[in-house]
Amino acid sequence: MKTRFLFPYWFRYLGLACFLVHIPIMLFFKKYHNMDNTDTGLFTGSHIFFIFTTLMVTIGLFLFAFSKEKIEDEQIMQLRRDSLQWAVYFNYVVLIATLIFTEHMEIGHIMMLNMWTLLLFFIFRFQWAIIRNNWSAKKEG
Amino acid sequence: MKNSIRVERAIKNITQADLAEQVGVSRQTINTIESNRYVPSTVLALKISRIFGKPLEEIFILEEGD
Repeated sequence: MKTRFLFPYWFRYLGLACFLVHIPIMLFFKKYHNMDNTDTGLFTGSHIFFIFTTLMVTIGLFLFAFSKEKIEDEQIMQLRRDSLQWAVYFNYVVLIATLIFTEHMEIGHIMMLNMWTLLLFFIFRFQWAIIRNNWSAKKEG
Repeated sequence: MKNSIRVERAIKNITQADLAEQVGVSRQTINTIESNRYVPSTVLALKISRIFGKPLEEIFILEEGD
């Protein structure tokens, strides 16, 4: 089946690698550099590090979310669309709830988290839908 | 909409996996169509009916409320 706007299957492993590699880098940095707030401003050491790790996670999740499945057919495409819609709805419910129940100063953190939550919700919902399909197919053999 | 794919498969003596391969989808897709959890596209429906050598209406049947 012809699909548009999707990465090849192996990109999911690239995405996973991006995501996993950032964890030891983050831990290492936290251990050997004191993250004080004196180092502010654009393109200073900690700012570049911040951009780098944030992009690693974002690109990793993005590639994992939007790479093709092994067998790509119309039903998978429908699952993907359903999951995307579900994820957007769910994300906005969470976003609105956090806006109501947090204080003004934390808006930056919410925006930051929001960059990943949509992708994460989508990945979980989509993978869960696939697993559920596989179970029922296996049961009926 | 209901369908008689399971019956037709039994007549032809092919598995879900065989049918899936012949029409170019995954086995899970055939499974979800058989259990009425997924409505196939017109293209896929036509491909399936061609495998069984029967007209579309004999395999996919509209139900009341559709």
